[in-house]
Amino acid sequence: MSENNRATTSPKAPAARFGGKGLNVGIAVAAIVTVVGLVLWGVQLSGGLAQTGMRNFDSWGLYITCFMFLVGLSAGGLIISSVPKAFGMKGFGGISKVAVWTSICCTVLAIGFVVVDLGQPLRLWELFAYSNLGSPLMWDIAVIAIYLILSVIYLWATLRAEAGKVSQKALRVVSVIALVCAVLVHSVTAWIFGLQQAHEFWYTALLAPWFVTSALVCGTALVLVVVIALRKAGYMELAQENVVKMAKMLGAFVCVDLYFFACDLLTSAFPGGSGTEVVDMLVSGPLAPFFWVEIAGCALAAVVCFVPKLRTNPLLVAAGLLAIIGIFCKRVQLLVGGFQIPNIDYAGVMTQYSVTDWAAGMAGAYQGMVYWPTPLEFGVALGVFGLGALMLLLGLKFLPLKPNENSH
Amino acid sequence: MTRLGFVIDKKSCIACHACAVACKVENNLPDGIWWNRILTEGGDNMDTPDGTYPNLTMANIAVACQHCDNPACVKVCPVGATYKDPDTGAVRQDYDKCIGCRMCMSACPYTGVRSFNWEEPNYAIGQAMGDADVPTHQKHVVEKCTMCWHRLAKGLEPACVEVCPARVRYFGDFDDPNSEVSKLIREREHTKLLENRGTNPSVYYLV
Repeated sequence: MSENNRATTSPKAPAARFGGKGLNVGIAVAAIVTVVGLVLWGVQLSGGLAQTGMRNFDSWGLYITCFMFLVGLSAGGLIISSVPKAFGMKGFGGISKVAVWTSICCTVLAIGFVVVDLGQPLRLWELFAYSNLGSPLMWDIAVIAIYLILSVIYLWATLRAEAGKVSQKALRVVSVIALVCAVLVHSVTAWIFGLQQAHEFWYTALLAPWFVTSALVCGTALVLVVVIALRKAGYMELAQENVVKMAKMLGAFVCVDLYFFACDLLTSAFPGGSGTEVVDMLVSGPLAPFFWVEIAGCALAAVVCFVPKLRTNPLLVAAGLLAIIGIFCKRVQLLVGGFQIPNIDYAGVMTQYSVTDWAAGMAGAYQGMVYWPTPLEFGVALGVFGLGALMLLLGLKFLPLKPNENSH
Repeated sequence: MTRLGFVIDKKSCIACHACAVACKVENNLPDGIWWNRILTEGGDNMDTPDGTYPNLTMANIAVACQHCDNPACVKVCPVGATYKDPDTGAVRQDYDKCIGCRMCMSACPYTGVRSFNWEEPNYAIGQAMGDADVPTHQKHVVEKCTMCWHRLAKGLEPACVEVCPARVRYFGDFDDPNSEVSKLIREREHTKLLENRGTNPSVYYLV
């Protein structure tokens, strides 16, 4: 594998093909989208969050969905590059630096989504001054900050190790710490939801391990798509053997994730009590489109990953995208599903601040999806994603992320 | 210890909404904000019964912050903007501290008792109503029933209790065995909202 890599990674040829005008245009477009997003965020803050679809009974929306999703996406890169190092296995052919860089970008985006969701972003400093260490949100802030710093250290250590300045042993220690931290990040993010007894759908011990597998699914899928695209663009060379290895991992993660979902559905539905409501809501209720897209997308992705004949580049990219879309649909189900079943559903006075579709009364508001984002929310979210694209592309342009002879 | 709270007689509530309006005026609540709401346990619409004639059932239930003994909101607030007052047992909200993350709203099992000022507060009339000691409402922070904290400080009962024409609302200290509320829950059958959630609310409903 390493010979293969060395043979194909000529430092000059890819550099000549990659970058140039296309990359600069990409950076410019991402920068414009970011600026537009910032302007829309200003509109949201000055005119108020009333311009979003979020309301008192469904107090979180697209931003927190994206936060969950991006924390998950950030997993893959770090785990893919740190697992082989931590366990002293063969790596994935020098993709680890690009993989960690996508992790760092995703983590920054996740933090960005929490910030745009806040009503009082100027009071963020209070998190450090008045920290309530008992709050899962505080745990998450702490662990994400550590995770981000560790990812940067890990990337730096990888670069230094390649230059021979940091020993392989030290790199291995950093990779073990980073791996533990990655698992913690997903668990703690799950606990923001899973420790709330107010929502039947969320309140399950399975949520934390389930978040870890979902993170592995979409994280691996993202790295798979990115490296195939970068190979195509001539940024790096990568033996097909490594791509296949990653595809097999993706298939396995998808199966575990679906298995957890099945366990959760069975446990909810079997007693025939209030949990049946949760299952109905997902399988045939307002969230059914998201449920079935996830199930079908993940199942298809697993088939592509497991059948050798189907492992062609276009199909692998499609499988990766299906897995990512599937996990995004899962995040939507989790977030909206939590609010979709009110604990107190008696008819009462409703105002424009009660629930997204308030005019139809308490019964009407829950007929379809209780929450749907407004165009402003889509715009702000797109802006945050623009920032991520900007970071990713700038990193590809200016950081030494390409595989070289010392990568493994 | 003192654990202040409410006893509400569901059997006698006539759903006149006087307590909801008194709360709104007393606390100078912005348009569209109700800390205390009268819900109908019955049909899909307010003041409609459940079932088919002649087998109809309907009850009225006034729901506001339950000032839980084990409040889910207090645990999750990352900055301690929502907290339990140790001297009274009231669950309070510090508008100046709230960062607007809305996790308390999500964690509270009592749907809709917490409200967020989703935009700059608007008022029905040009001048502030209610008590002068009520803290100013702020955009993008969470608020809710304060147990009329400003009135407690003056030795008064909450506005909703004072105004109730059917006298179904009682206020007092559950830790004092001789208080009226303690006697009521000793002598009368009662329920609490969502008891299985383990929040141990300080609002008892006589049934």
